[in-house]
Amino acid sequence: MAGGGALGRPESVKKGKKTNRKKKKRLGFHVDMTPLVDITFLLLMFFLFTTTMLKPQVMEMRIPPEIYAQVEVKASELLTICLLEDGRTYWYVGTIDIEKDPTNTNRPQLIKIDSIKYLAFEQNLKPNVKNRMITLFKIDEKAKYDLMVSVLDQLNIAEMSIIEELSKETEVNEQGQSVPVQRKRKFTISVLNEDDKKQLTNTGVEGVSKDVIQ
Amino acid sequence: MPVPKIRKKRMGFVIDMTPLVDITFLLLVFLMFTTKFKSEAEADQQFTIARPFASADTAKLPEKDLALINIDIDDKNPTDTAYYFGWTNTSDRDTIRDTYPDLPEELRKTLQVEMLVRVDTIMLSHLIKATKAVNRNAIFAIDADKDVNFKYINTVINIMNKNNQRVFNYVTQKRTSE
Repeated sequence: MAGGGALGRPESVKKGKKTNRKKKKRLGFHVDMTPLVDITFLLLMFFLFTTTMLKPQVMEMRIPPEIYAQVEVKASELLTICLLEDGRTYWYVGTIDIEKDPTNTNRPQLIKIDSIKYLAFEQNLKPNVKNRMITLFKIDEKAKYDLMVSVLDQLNIAEMSIIEELSKETEVNEQGQSVPVQRKRKFTISVLNEDDKKQLTNTGVEGVSKDVIQ
Repeated sequence: MPVPKIRKKRMGFVIDMTPLVDITFLLLVFLMFTTKFKSEAEADQQFTIARPFASADTAKLPEKDLALINIDIDDKNPTDTAYYFGWTNTSDRDTIRDTYPDLPEELRKTLQVEMLVRVDTIMLSHLIKATKAVNRNAIFAIDADKDVNFKYINTVINIMNKNNQRVFNYVTQKRTSE
């Protein structure tokens, strides 16, 4: 059957030509799209494979200028977050120097990095120090950059909620108008030095530094 | 006498490609417009940086006026950490190369072609100062591998602080799953 069909083909073409002598009026025309589609696909594939959708992001940080004059800060208005070499984070408000003041019962507390956002929110909105809290972030020199960014990220997440919470309240500005409270963020970053390590060890934090254990 | 219709035996078949071509074009146009090719400084980067993840308060990495400070662990020598300095504006690099006095000859030569140069801390300080002088709107960004120790980041922060550059950025990768 198949062979017969093939043989019969030229005949039928002839026949068709004969019967369709009257030229049909052409209304449109056909363009062979194949090369166009080929190229389009090729380009499409190229872009699909070379595109990366995730672009790097930036996290902005401002550091306070170096000041040589000592600034007095109320201990209750200072929140310290320490990032240790092994990735543990401790926090405390005020001081933990028990060498200087043996009656000090303040102890650093262990916190998971993911929970720092709650801590920062809570501490910054405490009624008596509201909007005056200074955050001090101390990092061990051997701590990983990754964790440092995680902590900063947590503080930034908290910052959004703090601003939102503060803007619900109003304060009176210089012109005597009542305006929403402006957030004054006080933040600084520094190295966890030997002194800080000693203080942490004295207050019962184990394995602050590998050198201490040995 | 009616001529019996002779059915042509179909050897192939025709698919209407129009919808397919429509979609393909749409995708192609979308990808062509959204694609941003790597800047030269990024293209000159010989190493891969695994960036730390962050989810809050992030903006896209700017494409203009950016000065990049790469901190990376050396592939060959894992204990060695290297600093690289790069620009996204070719004009900034050219001006620094041609006019800045404190540049060693060797570095000047490298800057003829490269957009990203390996530097030590002294050179880094010079380049930060020069970039600030050349381009007042320069944005500084630290692009470090997430396994780099804070020590190296701190060194860069201190150098920037000394050069009165107190606003800078960390290049991060957006956290996709929360």
